[in-house]
Amino acid sequence: MITKKVIVVGDLGVGKTSLIKRFVLSEFSEDSFYKVAVRVSEKIVAYEDEIIKLIIWNVAGADGYEKIPKNYFLGASAAMIIFDLSRESTYLKIDDSIRIVKELSGFQELVVVGNKTDLLSKKELKNVKKKVSIGIDSFTNAKVGENVSDAFLKLIIQALRK
Amino acid sequence: MSMNIENVFIQLKINYSGVIVAVSGGKFAEKEFIIEESIYGICPFLEGILDVLPLKEPFFLEGMVVVSESKEYNVDLELLKNQESINVLIHNRTNVSKYVEQLNEKRKDFFFIKREIIEKNIELDRLRKIADKANEEKSRFLAIMSHEIRNSLNSILGYSEIISSEKLNKNLSEHLKNISLAGKNLKVIVNDVLDLSRIEAGKLELASELISLKEIMRNCKNDVQYLKINKEVNLIFELPKKIPKLILGDPVRINQILTNLISNAIKFTKKGSIKISLKIIYETANEVKIAFEVVDTGRGISKEQCLNVFEEYYQNKLNDSRIFKGAGLGLAIVNRLVKGMNGKVSVKSELGVGASFFVEIPFSKISTLKKHSKSALKNGEVTDLKHLKILVADDDLLNQKMLLHVLKKENATISLVNDGLEALSKIEQETFDLVLLDINMPNMTGEELMLNKKHFIEYNCNTPFLALTANTNPEDIERYLKLGFKEVIFKPYIIHDLLSKIKTILRV
Repeated sequence: MITKKVIVVGDLGVGKTSLIKRFVLSEFSEDSFYKVAVRVSEKIVAYEDEIIKLIIWNVAGADGYEKIPKNYFLGASAAMIIFDLSRESTYLKIDDSIRIVKELSGFQELVVVGNKTDLLSKKELKNVKKKVSIGIDSFTNAKVGENVSDAFLKLIIQALRK
Repeated sequence: MSMNIENVFIQLKINYSGVIVAVSGGKFAEKEFIIEESIYGICPFLEGILDVLPLKEPFFLEGMVVVSESKEYNVDLELLKNQESINVLIHNRTNVSKYVEQLNEKRKDFFFIKREIIEKNIELDRLRKIADKANEEKSRFLAIMSHEIRNSLNSILGYSEIISSEKLNKNLSEHLKNISLAGKNLKVIVNDVLDLSRIEAGKLELASELISLKEIMRNCKNDVQYLKINKEVNLIFELPKKIPKLILGDPVRINQILTNLISNAIKFTKKGSIKISLKIIYETANEVKIAFEVVDTGRGISKEQCLNVFEEYYQNKLNDSRIFKGAGLGLAIVNRLVKGMNGKVSVKSELGVGASFFVEIPFSKISTLKKHSKSALKNGEVTDLKHLKILVADDDLLNQKMLLHVLKKENATISLVNDGLEALSKIEQETFDLVLLDINMPNMTGEELMLNKKHFIEYNCNTPFLALTANTNPEDIERYLKLGFKEVIFKPYIIHDLLSKIKTILRV
């Protein structure tokens, strides 16, 4: 078994904890709470011939991404950035956020996830896609678990590349 | 856990695989740190980083969470990697963190409140636009309706006045009186509704002209005499001996405030008296605060009713609007007007004993005597209209006939036309002593006609033009006067007043 540390970042309230909880425990809780600290979750997954122990760091970006300690990324293999599809403020400057996280982590690529598809109509989703300046890897709905595994699979693949 | 310094940290030595080798100091969560066991159990965040820690360089991890005995602690870590082991200092900052957390909670609340306010503001803005539009529509509707009602009222009141000058038997005379009274009531209601909508739309501008309180009280006395038909009620007007001669204010609106209060008192007083008095509350060199009081011996109202009596459309009893007429707007208008004059209005009452309304308004005083404003001028002597040539342009047949009747009685020579275009062709060719122009007419309006002055200047250069209109907006009136109308006469008008105005103008 190999251990891979991965980082999940995103603005306050975008659904990081819900997404991780859905992935790790297959649970969803409406009452999200807000963190001042890093929370770490673990999950053992199988991918191709590998058994991987994922150490998932849940890091809030409420203070601005530039304030995330660089040390958090030590030993990390991949990072995921999450935004809330229903809140413009969480994705209008996402290219800036991605640049900062790339600088802090030294990663070439991040897994970009748009969460809360349940709060948007198809038309609204289409509009969001037009507004977001970068490619989105996954559209998720942590509430019902839609595409959550897919998003983490992309994260695992990136982690294994390192 | 007490706040002993020992309890806020723990110092450990671990190997590169995360196994605890020794506890060298501190007691924070000591039960969780067992020698020869992995540190990853309590510090899962260390997994995956020990191998890559830089050698002999302190490495800090802030804001991590450890769980001990089902309690979460917020900790900061300092790691120092040596050749064979790693020193770990864990510092519990939960208390500090609690405050931070609380602050963060509050900040989060502000964050969401702010977002909510932004969203609500957008929504409010949208709703305000809808409301503004609806209000505009309402004003337009009111303007159109009041125009139509005033035109019809003009005929009703005018013809009533004409008929009343004929010889009538007692019954007919009584019926006519009722028609006239109903018409006058309707006029008050239409004016009230319009006033209120103007005040609501912020369009009511208060005049600031020289006024005499004595004159206002005298005019008010005249105005309310016709309202008092009950002989068992006495109207008493009281003025102090010493009052400032001239002050600055809006005479029309002050008169309206008093008239509304008195007409309200008349409605609810079956027997006794209605006393209208004026007092000086204080007086300085430049300012005087006047209290107007209207005290009646009517049925009175309860304390609860006192609270609502200045609200729009408020009638104390379900039947009030039927029995006492009116739309329940009189006192609401008083309230708004008094507030507009920086004054205040209040009421005291006892059921069955009576009610007292108090209005306090501050006025600026004028020390130097200036000429009275136009409105304060008394009408001149009545001149004869005999053989004077008057052109009347009105598309309303009833109004036309009424004017014809009235002016013929004065022996004037009348030419009648149906619209502005016909009026223009008349005044292009002959001279008139006076032109009475309705404003809203087909083909060419009264306003449009006035814009064609160059076509009729040859024959009617000095002819006074009078606008007859049901539009009473101050903006409209100003525009009419700018266009060259000598005077604006509002429908419904009292025939006697109309004639007086015509005679005054012709005399001037």
